[in-house]
Amino acid sequence: MNEIDGPLFDAELDGSEIKIDRNPDLADRIHRLVSGQPFCILCTQGQSQPYGSLIAYAFTDDLKHFFFNTQIATRKFKLLNECRRVALVIDSRCQHMDDMTRVDAVTVTGKAEQIQRGPEYQQGAEKLKARHPYLADFLDSTSTALFRIDVVRYLHVTRFQELSQWIP
Amino acid sequence: MDPLNRIIIPLSRAAEAEEKLIGGKAAKLSRLLRAGFRIPDGFCITVHAYRRFIKLNRLDDKIKFELGRKSFESMRWEEIWDAALRIRSAFQTAELPTGIKDPIVKAFVQLGTEKTLAVRSTAPKEDSARASFAGLHESYVGVKGEKGLLDAVRLVWASLWSDAALLYQHELGLDPLNSSMAVVVQELVEEHISGVAFGCDPRNPKSDRAIIEAVPGLCRDLVDGVLDPSRWILKRSSGQVIETRSGEREKEKPPAPLLSADDLRQIYHALQGIETLFGWPPDVEWTGIDEQFTLLQARPVTTSEPKPRDDKAYYLTLRPGERRLKELAKRVTRELIPQLQDEGENMAAEDMSQLDDGGLAEVIDSRQRSLEKWKKIYWDDFIPFAHGVRHLATYYNDAVRPRDPYEFVGLLKGQSMISTARNDKIVDLARQLRAQPALMESLDRLTAGPDVRFDSREGLSAHMAAQPGGVELTAAFEHLLDHYMDVSYGGERVKNQPVQVLKNILEMARARKLPEASGRDLDSVSALEKKLLDAVGPDRRAEAEEVLSIGRVSWKLRDDDNLLLGRIESQFIRALNEGAERLVSAGRLQSGVEPDDKSSAVITSALRNSEGGKVVIPNEEQKPPVSSRKRSKVKPRQLIGQPAAPGLVSGRVRIIRSPKDLGDFQAGEVLVCDAIQPTMTHLVPLAGAIIERRGGMLIHGAIIAREMGIPCVNGVENAAERLEDGELVTVDGHLGIVTVGEAEFDLEVRLANVEMEKQKCNGR
Repeated sequence: MNEIDGPLFDAELDGSEIKIDRNPDLADRIHRLVSGQPFCILCTQGQSQPYGSLIAYAFTDDLKHFFFNTQIATRKFKLLNECRRVALVIDSRCQHMDDMTRVDAVTVTGKAEQIQRGPEYQQGAEKLKARHPYLADFLDSTSTALFRIDVVRYLHVTRFQELSQWIP
Repeated sequence: MDPLNRIIIPLSRAAEAEEKLIGGKAAKLSRLLRAGFRIPDGFCITVHAYRRFIKLNRLDDKIKFELGRKSFESMRWEEIWDAALRIRSAFQTAELPTGIKDPIVKAFVQLGTEKTLAVRSTAPKEDSARASFAGLHESYVGVKGEKGLLDAVRLVWASLWSDAALLYQHELGLDPLNSSMAVVVQELVEEHISGVAFGCDPRNPKSDRAIIEAVPGLCRDLVDGVLDPSRWILKRSSGQVIETRSGEREKEKPPAPLLSADDLRQIYHALQGIETLFGWPPDVEWTGIDEQFTLLQARPVTTSEPKPRDDKAYYLTLRPGERRLKELAKRVTRELIPQLQDEGENMAAEDMSQLDDGGLAEVIDSRQRSLEKWKKIYWDDFIPFAHGVRHLATYYNDAVRPRDPYEFVGLLKGQSMISTARNDKIVDLARQLRAQPALMESLDRLTAGPDVRFDSREGLSAHMAAQPGGVELTAAFEHLLDHYMDVSYGGERVKNQPVQVLKNILEMARARKLPEASGRDLDSVSALEKKLLDAVGPDRRAEAEEVLSIGRVSWKLRDDDNLLLGRIESQFIRALNEGAERLVSAGRLQSGVEPDDKSSAVITSALRNSEGGKVVIPNEEQKPPVSSRKRSKVKPRQLIGQPAAPGLVSGRVRIIRSPKDLGDFQAGEVLVCDAIQPTMTHLVPLAGAIIERRGGMLIHGAIIAREMGIPCVNGVENAAERLEDGELVTVDGHLGIVTVGEAEFDLEVRLANVEMEKQKCNGR
């Protein structure tokens, strides 16, 4: 098990129970959640300081990879270069503002890699543009960096406390 | 297809359709047709086509992004125009899905593909008694062929997002994202006579007057102001003609009456019939007479209140058509600019020392009047003429369909302007200095030394000339000051700040590379020119060349007029200063007071009254600009503006507020100002990047920065107040973002250290 794959949280955190789940139903549910949200929170860190940023994202159908872009003068770009370990938080709270128990949320852990200009950049950029056409100018700009997150696992929460892990 | 989702409805069947599906214009036309009026044959492209086009191309995202970048209230008209241009460009390049295209083409085939068309906007709720969008949305007349039709349809849809439409919707409190657009496509009926008619007088709706206007040929020529119409004023109650005015048309002097008494009666009865049908006095466009009398459109007569000059709506008047632009080009280039130039030169040549005090007072008054006159001309003629560049923009984009809607800016390169000639002189001086390091060093010491101050130009020139090798350079420097720096900037004469100008030249001489003289890189200009001419084809070559020529002259004069007007203002300040100096010498005015236009009446009155006593100028205390940062805990980290010139550069901020700040500018710094004026474009080659409060892709700073490859973000609200001299910023001209400071966590780290120390202490 390498550094990235190691357990990131203690199982007894908040009294919630983590169960390893390869249940396709959960995968579908996560897929629906990830497809249904345009934005998520990207969590980065540097100088022992956690940092959160709202980002627009795209993902591969197998949920193994995410894509996002950032302008290179940003704090998150600097932090991503200092530490590639990241997390994403995606949730459906906007749809269930009045009922917390119906909110789905996933924390996605993984490793972010900057994609250099070339065919892979084009592919990732196309995926982002397909979900977020207004990003076209950003993605074409030389002051933009495109990142791919290689997902390690999903931690899915529903009914406020029910937590499951899914490894894609 | 579900009738509710129909893309096409023939006008003959449109009376059954709801207005929200086919728009106001088409709904009224179809009711007129059913009531027995003659209207041109055609069909309506319903709002479903527009909505599907928007949805399939995700254009609503693009629109939200363009209009959500800044608050609408904080956008200048230029920025709204730019956003509208980018949205228009997105409509032009978006895919037209077959589900929309095929029904349109089928309807066109049924109408007759050989026919020339009128493609008009027909937006739901566009012409109500409360609001009239007349003239705000586009219509295209003389459209031919399938491609022409489909292009025109896209442009009509895009006109829902024009600067004018956006401003009007905002004024009415409407959300344009909830608006929609249908299109009515009709055969173009070309009769020998056309006109407009009003069921009541729009200027005085309660009077017993109706109005009929007519021109020979197309109605479009009347609406666009190409032809001066003949006008008849009739009694609204009886149709009796009470006033006749013949239009001033060339080739026909005196013009033959266009309409007979029978013709007028026919149109009057049509007005009455339409009023009965709709219940309101109509404003109609018509063509043909007698049996050919055809209605082109009918809407309620609306009255409009004049807008104050500073209202954004004023800018909507700045959309002169080609004819008006041609007239302006002639008037501005042949009359106004030469007059403005002559006046400035004459003023500069006048020796005021020979005048007695009364004579000097006359000169001050006359210069102030001249300045006011030219400021009025600036608003009335120069600013509307500046639209020539925008006309070129839309013309180029319609013909070439470039990916970058600002590609056309390359066509403006290499224009010979007063500012480029001045900048070339400055580069020449810098080159001379580079060749004489010893002279450069001594001038460096002269201008930087804390003990040496040059309040007068003569003092500086004497010192310069006294340096080894300084005589020739001093002569060239004096020429530069007299011929190019006799302009005002921020109410001060740049010429009166010779040290600041010299410091700019020294800084340029020290820079790693001298800026290239203007007028280079004409290959890229020729390539763009060819692209445009190839796109329009040989038939429209002459038209394209004219649009190009007007666009270029408009751009060149937009720069020159500012400098020439700046010279008049500088000469007014010169006369005012001379008056103030005389009063100081006579012991009547305290020295050190800087008079301005508000105090000129006090100065001239004192000059005329030699027996008078002490003169007090009510001087407004000039408070030094205070950064809002000093008063606020809020610190900007990322500022948003318009991506005016591409590139990414980090550098230290240098804020320029007046000519006194010019000399401090160092190569590589980020130039921050309210707006790059033509008076200060010589700083641009030294700048690492530019940040301006004034926004727009076609303003001076933006175009010059683009030409020189310097990143520029403009439209940054309160840029000079929110940034501080010496602050590190990263200017992203690709995306219109200014990042302030380093991405650090100093505060958090410091706090963590303090807590660690506390814990250590507690542990002890």
